[in-house]
Amino acid sequence: MNARPIVATFVGVVFFLPLYLVLVNIFKPSAAVVADPAGLPFPPTFDNLAAVLNRPDHLFTFGLINSIAVTALSVTVLTVFSAMLGHYLARSRHWAAKVVMGTLLCGLMIPVPVIMAPITTVLKWFDLMTTLQGLVLVNVGYYVPFGVLLFMGFVRGVPLELEEAAALDGANRFRVFWQVVFPLLRPASASVMIFLGVWIWNDFLTPLIVLGPDSGTTVTVGVYRAIGQYQSDFGSVFAFMFLATLPILIFYLALQKNFVKGLTGGAVKG
Amino acid sequence: MTQTTHRETRVTPRPARPPRRNGRFLPALGRFSLFALPGLLAYTLFVLVPIGMTGYNSLTNLNPFNPPTQFVGLRNYVNLLSDAEFHQALLNTVIITAIITVLANAGGLLIAMLLDRPTKLYVLLRGVFFTPVVLSSVVISVIWQAILTDDGLLNSALRGLGVDEPPGWLSDPGLAIYSIAWIMAWQMLGFCVVVYLAGLQGVPRELNEAASIDGASALQRFRNVTWPMLAPALTINVVMLLITGFKAYDQVRVITNGGPGNGTTVTMAFQVVQTAFVSNRIGYSSALAAVMLAIVAFISVVVLRFLQKREVSQ
Repeated sequence: MNARPIVATFVGVVFFLPLYLVLVNIFKPSAAVVADPAGLPFPPTFDNLAAVLNRPDHLFTFGLINSIAVTALSVTVLTVFSAMLGHYLARSRHWAAKVVMGTLLCGLMIPVPVIMAPITTVLKWFDLMTTLQGLVLVNVGYYVPFGVLLFMGFVRGVPLELEEAAALDGANRFRVFWQVVFPLLRPASASVMIFLGVWIWNDFLTPLIVLGPDSGTTVTVGVYRAIGQYQSDFGSVFAFMFLATLPILIFYLALQKNFVKGLTGGAVKG
Repeated sequence: MTQTTHRETRVTPRPARPPRRNGRFLPALGRFSLFALPGLLAYTLFVLVPIGMTGYNSLTNLNPFNPPTQFVGLRNYVNLLSDAEFHQALLNTVIITAIITVLANAGGLLIAMLLDRPTKLYVLLRGVFFTPVVLSSVVISVIWQAILTDDGLLNSALRGLGVDEPPGWLSDPGLAIYSIAWIMAWQMLGFCVVVYLAGLQGVPRELNEAASIDGASALQRFRNVTWPMLAPALTINVVMLLITGFKAYDQVRVITNGGPGNGTTVTMAFQVVQTAFVSNRIGYSSALAAVMLAIVAFISVVVLRFLQKREVSQ
């Protein structure tokens, strides 16, 4: 009768095997990776991790700094911009608001490759090609529809009376938004930050093209650049990937609780 | 002050609206600039304008290294019809999309039903299946490349088991595209599991109990009670997977770079990017991009409508 836990555990273990291989082989010398890929790393070596951190070309360390800067900036700007725009559109009764909303919805499904070449042209107009600022702006433009969609659902759950009360008490639009509405949108902000944080950190094509080969890249593109050099030295490649993933995984796990609550909250109110 | 009142009413001429009594409210234009403009400006510059440019460029022979640029009408689109690489890319994209849609959906549903219990073990296992969704597709690609490459971890293990000539999962021109699809399905599986689990939790316990009392078998209960209630989850998963499949790029770029052989794993997205940034044929690449966008738009609108109709009718 109770085969469920055994079957479930078995399927989970099989599914997890590729990730297990990464985790154990980070701590093995290259010879052991080839000889016994699935074995546990005894005694463990930290040479692979140290090698990634001490690369002479700083591919990892510079990439990490770029990734943190780009992700943090993009997510902050996106949260603020899309909260404001989402609130504005949700409260507006003007016909144009619906048109704008429809246009934004279309943006949700546009694949990046379709607009990549023109994006580089637009960036060149402003002399922002191969700059982190350029990458942040592209991220903001591309992901703003998602943020707006999520915030709009939540704004509808904030009673208009609250805003009217604050306005009667003499708060201007700016204060009403920042001191009354925005704090109430915290679950939506958490969802937007977690989704976009993970997506932007993991983005590949956009930073690959926008930052280009000469200036530094993000850690995710760094993984791609690293595989060519390491060839089949899996221990080093895995160590690079592990360190490149760790920050966003911690970020995800830290915010995850809010995120699940946020999603269901939005679903009910939407 | 009166100016403010005047503008407000002009933009939203609803008498029901409470009158603005004083000048502490910003004028409508100011409000728009402050709250709406920043986001809209970024969206316009980096999505709307590029879309327009892709559309226009697709009617030219734009190549920055081969001027002058001329207007060529629909010639790029006509050339697409006889472009063998495009046909291959279209076929590969359809293969990937079909495989991941079926595999990740079927696997996701089975695993969701397996894990639909509230105890710690199952909560932990949900986390296991969801982990690849949070990881970058670049990272996933590199992991599987290490496993599937000719002298990789899988073939080492197979040789250890006595298989003399294990398959070239990524080097066999007939096999590589399926390996790529498998890798994408593995990454998306957790997404489907989570969406189906959410759907399963929306199935009222009483319904299954009632059916059970009426003598319905487990299979009948699934077919007639659970499955119809999962219609919204199926819609989300199918549309998500179809779009993911049609956008497939990262895995091809990282693992095979279009090979082995002559473009055996080239997808539409890959061809768009290579044509634009390697061959510099922006005009032709734009036509490819426009076709790709049309297909994705078609899926988003038509498939979504169709599946939602199915939700309602059940």
